[in-house]
Amino acid sequence: MRLRVIIFLANGLGWLSRATKRGSGVMLTGRMILKLEPRAAEILSRNRRVVLISGTNGKTTSTALIHAAISTSHKAVTNFTGANLFAGVATALSQSRSAPIAVLEVDEMVIPWAIAQTRPEVIVLLNLGRDQLDRLSEVRVVAQKWKDAVQNLPKKSLILADADDPFVVWAAKDWKHVIWFSSGSLGHIDASTCPECGEVLWWNDKGSDFSCTCGFARPKPDWVLSKGMLKGPKKQKIEVVSGIPGKAGISNAARAIVAASHFDIELEKSSQAVKKISSVDGRFGNIVIGQTKYRLMLSKNPASWRETLSTSKAGPDGVLLVVNANTQDGKDTSWLWDVDFSPLDGRIVIVSGDRRSDVSARLTVAGIEHAIAKDERSASIMFGSGNADLIASYTAFHRLAKLVKR
Amino acid sequence: MTFTIVHLFPELLGTYGDRGNVEVVSWRLSQRQIENEVIAVGIGEKIPKSADLYFLGGGEDDAQIAAMEILARKNVMAKVLNSGGHVFAVCAGFQILGDTFPASGGRVISGLGLLPIETVSVTPRSVGEVLLKPTFSIEGEEFLTGFENHSGQTRFTDNLQPLGIVAKGIGNGLGAGVDGVVTPQVIGTYMHGPALVRNPGLADWVLERKLGRLEPLDASIFQHLHEERVRASR
Repeated sequence: MRLRVIIFLANGLGWLSRATKRGSGVMLTGRMILKLEPRAAEILSRNRRVVLISGTNGKTTSTALIHAAISTSHKAVTNFTGANLFAGVATALSQSRSAPIAVLEVDEMVIPWAIAQTRPEVIVLLNLGRDQLDRLSEVRVVAQKWKDAVQNLPKKSLILADADDPFVVWAAKDWKHVIWFSSGSLGHIDASTCPECGEVLWWNDKGSDFSCTCGFARPKPDWVLSKGMLKGPKKQKIEVVSGIPGKAGISNAARAIVAASHFDIELEKSSQAVKKISSVDGRFGNIVIGQTKYRLMLSKNPASWRETLSTSKAGPDGVLLVVNANTQDGKDTSWLWDVDFSPLDGRIVIVSGDRRSDVSARLTVAGIEHAIAKDERSASIMFGSGNADLIASYTAFHRLAKLVKR
Repeated sequence: MTFTIVHLFPELLGTYGDRGNVEVVSWRLSQRQIENEVIAVGIGEKIPKSADLYFLGGGEDDAQIAAMEILARKNVMAKVLNSGGHVFAVCAGFQILGDTFPASGGRVISGLGLLPIETVSVTPRSVGEVLLKPTFSIEGEEFLTGFENHSGQTRFTDNLQPLGIVAKGIGNGLGAGVDGVVTPQVIGTYMHGPALVRNPGLADWVLERKLGRLEPLDASIFQHLHEERVRASR
């Protein structure tokens, strides 16, 4: 069957799934395409400039920002909904075949396949940290996968890599064309030993520099984001304003500007484009439940909790934590003890979700006063009218994100 | 007298929320107005030899070996035990107290040799909820609950008392149907979760071995969590 026909049929199946409210249809469409034409992603990537984006945290947001910046001058397809496995990538590539650029979010473990299939021109490696250890691999295993996979990149491909993350540095450092980006993130809870040799890794007191006696060290960054100002290797300079709050928001925005500059988009133009994005796929979207207007935030591992708690601190007094431990959340909740919850101190804190007892025990030991509620609606009775942040783990977030008006 | 708790190398052996065990025992003491101090010992820092309770947590291969090498250098853990210190060791921390443990690439690493146990690598990994029937009586706790995630499985090479009989999960594995170990000074287990948060009775039992009988503590959330996890595993 010709690929065009396959895509037509698969899109029909996706439409049917949406029409019958079974789901977004993205996965179904992609699965059918790959079933009928296993080389579909490779065929659909030919004659296209492909950007891949991967990392433990910030994939969906970064992909949306890079797509927005590139779209100021080129037509580009992307996987908007965070569907970042084989099927999601195939579906994205099958849309608007005339678009010369594809900006694709890819799950960390799918990177080897995505590199082989799409032969990307640019690959953006964000960060690697512990994430749902009961079902995913320990950080070193993922880093090794990346390190092996990038050696199969087309010769002229470019890696835009984070210079502050030892695992990203280790995975990317042997490639010829690397642009190192730094946003000044500090320390790394999983990198106390050297990814190269296993000896204890040296960190300076601030956590802004690392090196090892084996020679492994933090590279000198080409692009640096500092105090909202992004500076490039050729004296480029632009102020970065992010529509998405928090430190990660601004660093993702800056990185997107750098990625887009490879496609000859002027910094100013990209900067204007990323500034306009304030919510991606429900993240930082608003939902009203009962009397309370909640700002929805996703947190799925210790690094993202740390980031979210610090962003939320500048928000409203009320904060609701919703923690589940389904398969997609990770069934092990012991990571709760890797998160510093002190930014919640002094706020009105309510915990909910299937594992609210685990969270409550954690907060009790941390000395943070809180109440327990069975769901968002009961919590809203306690909050009353007004604003509150709602920080949710994966499955709770996706249930609630559907309520965000787009 | 201040009760001293030493958390050994949290940056190396702390992959699975191991800090929780340390924090919760400190909290349980503080709630009872028992003066206590937590010393987190980082890499390269001096290890107190005469503290009351030492914690070793879980970690990945390289980190486990790095921690083992530091402890082996000055025979630290033997000195700790000689001075009457107690040890609570989880997963990788439990394994390094034994004779051998496995590392990537089929390597066999010599441990500290303080427990007659040896650990071998078994696939698939043991991952999931664990439920134990403790081998001794713990007030208010018929079962112990935790979460395990390890590829090593451990056998006793001499007579030892396990921490519990496995009702759900793998524990020490290798067909023995038990988890962990209890000696007069050492408790080892594959249960993180963290175990002393999920099992308040065990937390107090660990403390009482050192401090004698403690007053009951009114902290119902931990009892509630314990019952919830036991129920979910049964």
